[in-house]
Amino acid sequence: MELLSPKSGNRAGYLFVAPYLLHLLLFFGYPLLFAVVLVFNRWDIVTPMEFVGLKNFGRMIHDDLFFRAILNTGLFLVIHIPLQIIVALFFAELLNSKLKGRTFFRTVYFLPVVVSGVVVTILFQQLFAFDTGFINNVLSALGGERVPWLVSPQWAMPSIALMATWKNAGLYVILFLAGLQNIPASLYEVSDIEGAGTWRKWWHITLPMLNPTVVTVVLLSTIGGFSLFIEPYVLTGGGPLNSTLSGLLYIYNQAFYFNHMGYAAALGLCFALIILGVVLLQRRFVETDVY
Amino acid sequence: MMAAHRRNILLALQGACVLLIASCDPAPPVEVMGEGDVVHLTYWCAQNPQERALATQLVETWNAANPDVQVQVQPLPAGQSSEEVLIAAIVAGTTPDLSSNIWPGIISDFIRADGVYPLSSFPDFDSLMMSRVPADLLARFRAPDGIYYQIPWKTNPIMLLYNQQLFREAGIEQLPRTYSEFMAAAARLTRDLDGDGHMDQWAGYRRTHPIWHERRFDYYALYIGASGGKTLFDEGQVRIDTAASTKVFSFFRDVYAHHYFPLTTFQTSPILSGKVATEFTGPWQIGWLDENAPPGFEYGFTPLPVPDDYEGPAYTFGDYKNIVIFSNTRHPEEAWRFAKFLVSREADLQLLETTKQIPVRQGLLTDSLYAGFFARNPKVRPFAEVALYTRGEDGVSSLQEILDAIAQQFEAAAVYRVYSPEEATRRALARIRLIHEWNS
Amino acid sequence: MKKIFAYSALVLGTVVFAYPFVWMLMASFKPELEIGALNPLPSRWTWDSFALVFTAIPIGRAFLNSVLVTVTVTASALIFGSMAAYALAKLQWRGRDVVFNLILFTMMVPFLVMLIPLYTLVVGFGWTDSPAGLIVPFMMNATAVLILRQSFVTIPQDILDAARIDGCGEGRILFSVVWPLSVPALVTAGIIVFIGNWNEVLWPLVVIRSEHWMTMPQMVTLFAVGGGAEGKLGPQLAAALLLGVPVIGAYLFFQRHFISSLASTGLKG
Repeated sequence: MELLSPKSGNRAGYLFVAPYLLHLLLFFGYPLLFAVVLVFNRWDIVTPMEFVGLKNFGRMIHDDLFFRAILNTGLFLVIHIPLQIIVALFFAELLNSKLKGRTFFRTVYFLPVVVSGVVVTILFQQLFAFDTGFINNVLSALGGERVPWLVSPQWAMPSIALMATWKNAGLYVILFLAGLQNIPASLYEVSDIEGAGTWRKWWHITLPMLNPTVVTVVLLSTIGGFSLFIEPYVLTGGGPLNSTLSGLLYIYNQAFYFNHMGYAAALGLCFALIILGVVLLQRRFVETDVY
Repeated sequence: MMAAHRRNILLALQGACVLLIASCDPAPPVEVMGEGDVVHLTYWCAQNPQERALATQLVETWNAANPDVQVQVQPLPAGQSSEEVLIAAIVAGTTPDLSSNIWPGIISDFIRADGVYPLSSFPDFDSLMMSRVPADLLARFRAPDGIYYQIPWKTNPIMLLYNQQLFREAGIEQLPRTYSEFMAAAARLTRDLDGDGHMDQWAGYRRTHPIWHERRFDYYALYIGASGGKTLFDEGQVRIDTAASTKVFSFFRDVYAHHYFPLTTFQTSPILSGKVATEFTGPWQIGWLDENAPPGFEYGFTPLPVPDDYEGPAYTFGDYKNIVIFSNTRHPEEAWRFAKFLVSREADLQLLETTKQIPVRQGLLTDSLYAGFFARNPKVRPFAEVALYTRGEDGVSSLQEILDAIAQQFEAAAVYRVYSPEEATRRALARIRLIHEWNS
Repeated sequence: MKKIFAYSALVLGTVVFAYPFVWMLMASFKPELEIGALNPLPSRWTWDSFALVFTAIPIGRAFLNSVLVTVTVTASALIFGSMAAYALAKLQWRGRDVVFNLILFTMMVPFLVMLIPLYTLVVGFGWTDSPAGLIVPFMMNATAVLILRQSFVTIPQDILDAARIDGCGEGRILFSVVWPLSVPALVTAGIIVFIGNWNEVLWPLVVIRSEHWMTMPQMVTLFAVGGGAEGKLGPQLAAALLLGVPVIGAYLFFQRHFISSLASTGLKG
């Protein structure tokens, strides 16, 4: 029974959504248009814009740092995503039981998630320091070798991936927990009757049913990976040897250290397209139908 | 909520807005003052406590002696970097009348934005400058159009700070002058104190993050020394002394190959905690050490090392801060009077006393006015001796990007030793040419 | 047996996830030279590091700035967001689906693309170095709209119709009827917006140059990366601790709501 006449429904609808739409137009639509314009120009804010056509893209093709940033992000994702899934799933499984103190553990694991990236970065700068850092001190005390976490081109990005996994694990534990709890118990009961072992149950029931959660986790981690900024900014400045230069950091440098606004906008657009491509590919290959 | 009408106009004007501001007539009408009218000037000084104290003292002295021109001093709005704050002020039209915290590297951007006043148009500019600054040094601050937009005010020469006790313990009797002597000293200064097979003390330390401004105090300072006072550009053209550059990259390469400098990020001051024996730094460090060093910390300064085959006076990098008058000023004549006061003999003495930084003035060590100060502050002497042998950065646009290119090569050739110093110089030169081309 | 394994794994997890914070807490009270030592406990507890933070940077001011900005942004996102969500969930009007898809689309475009143009827009409005630059571009939040819409959809039509029969206008219905029924969603959306905005560092770094208007994460970042800490680690850790405490406090206060509603709404994202 519709008590709302179409006309007044329309009016109310438009009225209520109007502030949002206006804001969207001004702070999303306009910048998007401006971004498209900016990529064809050269601009440093203090002097007028100069139309340069496709020059920014020409420069991008020859810019090895641009490709490096893409590669670095790829390396980050390749390490971070599987690690994240394994760690989060592991703890989610543990918490998906009748153990006492579950709420306490859940709360503690979620702590790094809410805290600012800045806090985590400052913390890990000390933990990862080569000569005076906590982790290396412990390793050294145990008789091991000191690890060049942030001062080796091979170790730097993996170190950041490790840090990111630590920071976000709690969030994905919660998501996996919810996913696990949504699996109907009946499925397990049926397979119990058929005599399936733990491993088989896990592989054939749990994992497939968790697919939507896995997709979400992969999606969020990917977007997080492309948003890396404060970590390289504070920890490494993009080094060593540009191994931790992320897309955002490179764009920030170009725009705000060197005042290449047009080029930075072009970089931003390209990275956005790459993200879109990666996400679409992931959905295609990772997502399966779950009934 | 905006009416659609106003929004459209706003959108249309958006892109032109900054353009309008930037192309605004930079010379607002000069106020004609009547007799007895008081002129009010605003003057921005640097944020740090010593310079604020200095500025307050100078302004008080001036205001008492010049009732017709009253100056109000404000520290530059603190932020990420004073350069960004100043550019933002120029774009927004909110500049003060003058400021004394101007990094020469940003002047070209100011000039392009029509933000600064041509100082050489004042009739007594030349005579004032000649009495204070040597001609060859002054010429480096001239803009490409032949006009001077800045007055060199003070400089912080970079020298080698050394921990006297650590040097004694290592048995170093003579201060190292050349690269080889430095290497020999460094070998003795890098020690494993607790026998765990891992070094605990090093000869020196540089932050190895490839940030553009880090390299000013190591590569660039030593390059100026090794090239006998040359910078990266000459008359607006890229002109690098490649031999000198290669020697400097080589020097640092050896330092890192022997692990005389640690490859880590210290979050605390390593010189204070005795982890390193030397540091490349300037006179500002004196005040800081006096405040923060543990009791019994003895230190001295010596010139930066030079290549073994180098002959001639020791040149180094001077971190200059200069004075500009902004083009937005309504009282250029009065601002110029105040600026002249800021670089007078007495003001320079005040600068020394309050901040221990070096005014750009010839004859500092022979002028009796300053004798008392240097007698009481012997540690500042070496800086005054070298002050006129310093070079700053070239006033080209995109200087940050150029220094960034050098930082990249430094990291690759010296710290991680991926390719040779010659290769590093070659690549740096190529990239600098490219950057210069892109941006002019 | 399995239980012992499970518990030890969980405890190990707790150590891994919580110890760094504990270490940071201890270290900020330690005398500077002890911070690198393995022993987490200070030999003597000192406020020196905190004292330096408060004298070196106006962190109290930064805290207030963050509070001002984030509370305003959150309130705005919830109010205008629920208006939009209500229109999308419960009202019929032409173009409803188009707008919904448009909102979804805005979530896909990464901030990367918008950063520079948004910055120039803010410069054009003269909002650099002012709270307007931090607040206005973020007054609306698509995630909040999505969460609220999802919750509003589940409200039975009858309740709304009853209110209409009583003569309530849509506005009153939204704030007097729908809101009380949607507290979990409001809390969830509110927390997500709040935490996201509080922790945001890149945008303030770009838009605010003057210390007077810096947000807390921004100020702590510059304190740590720039030289403000006078080469001491203790103050950096102290500043980071100060930055984390409000959020951790708010989180602990709201966590039951938050985690449970995140779990139920999270999957549909």
